[in-house]
Amino acid sequence: MKKLLKSKWFISLVVLLVLAACAILSLLPGSPIKKLLKPVQSVSSPAQSIVKRAGDTLTDFWSAITDGIAIREENRALKEQIADLRYHLTQNEEAALRYEELKEALHIKDMFSNYVIYGASILSRESDEWFSTIRLNAGKADGIVLEEGNSYPVLDVEMNLVGRVIETSDTESRVLPLLHEGFAVSAKVNAVNGATFMVYGDAELKRKGLCLAKDIDPDARLEAGMEIVTSGDGGLFPEGIPIGVVVSVDNSNPLQVTATIRPYSQIGKLEDVFIMIPYVEPEENTAASTQGT
Amino acid sequence: MRFINANAKYRIRKIIVYAIYIFLLSSLQVSFPDSFGFLGQTADLMFVFVVLAGYFNGFWDGAVVGFVCGLVRDVFSPPAVVGLDGEVRVTAFLGVFTLFAAGIIGSAFFTRRMHRNIPFSIVAVIFTTTCYKVGGYLLIYGWSLLAGSASGIYSPVTFVVYSYLPQLLLNVIASVPLLLLIRFLGPVSFKKNKNNDEIIDKQGDGTWLGI
Repeated sequence: MKKLLKSKWFISLVVLLVLAACAILSLLPGSPIKKLLKPVQSVSSPAQSIVKRAGDTLTDFWSAITDGIAIREENRALKEQIADLRYHLTQNEEAALRYEELKEALHIKDMFSNYVIYGASILSRESDEWFSTIRLNAGKADGIVLEEGNSYPVLDVEMNLVGRVIETSDTESRVLPLLHEGFAVSAKVNAVNGATFMVYGDAELKRKGLCLAKDIDPDARLEAGMEIVTSGDGGLFPEGIPIGVVVSVDNSNPLQVTATIRPYSQIGKLEDVFIMIPYVEPEENTAASTQGT
Repeated sequence: MRFINANAKYRIRKIIVYAIYIFLLSSLQVSFPDSFGFLGQTADLMFVFVVLAGYFNGFWDGAVVGFVCGLVRDVFSPPAVVGLDGEVRVTAFLGVFTLFAAGIIGSAFFTRRMHRNIPFSIVAVIFTTTCYKVGGYLLIYGWSLLAGSASGIYSPVTFVVYSYLPQLLLNVIASVPLLLLIRFLGPVSFKKNKNNDEIIDKQGDGTWLGI
């Protein structure tokens, strides 16, 4: 028995069994086992930031050298564009004033006016095809508080869907990307009375950078090139966030029509993203407005 | 006491060198994955490093480095898994499990028989990568069936052509600079004209026993 306890293979087996048990326990809702990783996070995160910053500086430096001529040309074109945009801006300012007046009058709701938008930078991406969550530098301390069963949409700078926040710590959040096989969102064709269906991440399509649309009504009009946006059903995502375009539709089985979607957001090229959190009116204001009525 | 003093130099060197490599490689992998990518796969620098640490420097090196690398991986990019209730959750300790096992397999892969020779270390990387990919695929396949999540399943042909082979190629390519680093600029000094296994007994496995 003593010999067995001293055997390195026996020790390894015990450690592997304990680790497997920890991994399974971490899947339970509100599992405290993840807190064991906190000390590692406090040491490894600053180290990774240094390496990332050094890498970014080197990339920027290299780009500055190689892109010098192209940047000069681009700068000239941009100056012309600025002059043109200034002209349009003056015209649009007047239109914006008019819009605000109409918005007040017609009680038009801004699409995302009930959401607070937080900016965050991507700290780390997937390390391989299975270890594939994304880490952001915004957490509970920044107001990203996530309750069990809840989730927040994550958008890129062009307001396209990137994924959703599935876990937050004090300083960081983890995002489930749109292409992940566990991702699902209710979507619709961006048209009047556009067909609604579900868009899922799919392991088979992930390598091509595509998602899968299922639960499509056989009579619905769905063609390649159509734009897909979130439908707002389910409550997690507001309506109208652009997801991507239809690449192909498979009608071979009329009872199970599927389509492939190419998302707009290119996660590999993203540096900054936005987290949308539903706006909750402070209790004092709510009480005051209730009393007023 | 004398044993601790004799190994103090090796031990300090080992901890410092491993710490630098672990943080550097893990940070590089998760910060710039596209730079090490091909066909949707990324060269797994941490995985290859752990296997080579086990192969060249012995069982305890593979186990300890695998454990620490796994912890870092679980912090940087943990996997999200569809639970049995259909909810997607971030897991912990799967990275530690994977890399700890990789370090042990690397240390046991004909190391004594092949006298830890350099070319054979690539075979160790190939073997361990195969174990990881096949084991991972079977685990995901089984779990997806259990959780009723068909979106996580892909066909064996897709797995071989688009997952296993590109990953194997990238890991083999990554293993060349990493094996040179670990062998010639690594935590264990192989400069002395001694048998590799004698050096490992003195500087490798034995070093950890003092901690």
